[in-house]
Amino acid sequence: MADQTNNGTNKKPRTLSLDAWAVAIALLLAALVRLGVLKHVAW
Amino acid sequence: MSSSSIALRAEPLQWPRKIVALLPGVVLLVLVGMVGKVLEKSIAAYTKAHHIVFPNIEYVLWAIVVGLLISNTVGVPAWFRPGVATYEFWLKTGIVLLGARFLLGDVLKLGSVSLVLVLIELALSIAFMTLLGRIFKLSPKLTSLLAVGSSICGVSAIIATKGAIDADDEDASFAIAAILALGALALFTFPPIGHWLGMSDHMYGLWAGTGVDNTAEAVAAGALYSDAAAKIAVLAKTTRNAMIGFVVLGYALYWAAREGRQAVGSKAAFLWQKFPKFVLGFLLISLLASLSVFSKDQIGSLANLSRWAFLLTFAGVGLRINFREMKKQGLRPFIVGALGEIVIAAITLGLVLGASKLVKL
Repeated sequence: MADQTNNGTNKKPRTLSLDAWAVAIALLLAALVRLGVLKHVAW
Repeated sequence: MSSSSIALRAEPLQWPRKIVALLPGVVLLVLVGMVGKVLEKSIAAYTKAHHIVFPNIEYVLWAIVVGLLISNTVGVPAWFRPGVATYEFWLKTGIVLLGARFLLGDVLKLGSVSLVLVLIELALSIAFMTLLGRIFKLSPKLTSLLAVGSSICGVSAIIATKGAIDADDEDASFAIAAILALGALALFTFPPIGHWLGMSDHMYGLWAGTGVDNTAEAVAAGALYSDAAAKIAVLAKTTRNAMIGFVVLGYALYWAAREGRQAVGSKAAFLWQKFPKFVLGFLLISLLASLSVFSKDQIGSLANLSRWAFLLTFAGVGLRINFREMKKQGLRPFIVGALGEIVIAAITLGLVLGASKLVKL
């Protein structure tokens, strides 16, 4: 969560935080599984 | 060619370059994780074929040990490091996907038990670590960082607090080194203690989630016990992580008052900024699973995707442990951290054993 330490003094271009990326990718994978694109993920 | 034109030309390449920079390390995570999986299966097959009595050592431990061996012998070359650092991304993705294995009702039930334990653990840990810091005459800010790191969620909490209380880089790296060293130690001590005490998966998972500091190590400590224990450890640790904003806000207000600085502006905005957003993703996937959006097979696939993400995380945990780097940080913060961790592990163990008498765990 290092991205959360920015106190606003040094302006950086807006980018997605690590958490947002993790949630976005997880939701994308869940959607692919739900839609049947990823039919069976083996372990 | 002028430097400005190079910069202009380089701009569109930034993203592909970033991804290419991550690739070697991610490939290393996959390789180390796969070696862990292969070692588990090969050793189990060999010992079975030769009728040798040998405990089954899970891929989790192999992946960590292989990573640790690489890191402490040949080392991790610089061009692998950006990709290896993605282990935290895989951890969070794995946790969000794991939400599919929880019905929202279970999350609320288990989460409320965890929350009570976490609140008691937070109060006792912060008080004890502050006392230890004073006894060992550590700097007040280093004491604050160690207290936050050992009571909530390790490295993330230390980094968040460092910014909020304006602590030195040196204090933060001391605290991070101590928390990482002790997290590594927990991987090898928690599972045998759990087995020795005959703890159920549920009890052990709660203990790992409330007693081990860093999220990756807490999940690994749970997975070293059993799959079910890992699931509960994730839930307990996620509950603990959700508290980060409140504790960091408390410390920010305390240090602002002590140094006569202006405190944080909007407290609600501060809490939202510090709140770990992946917890919301976990709850969303859990809600979707509770609404039967996914079939049984699909939930199995999501659980397996979560396992793959955790496999890369465990490889990263091993690759990140570097004893030489930890030694450079000195002994005092480590001793304070170690004493604190032993007491916190005992407190959380006592809390879990006590809770098991009151609630069916």
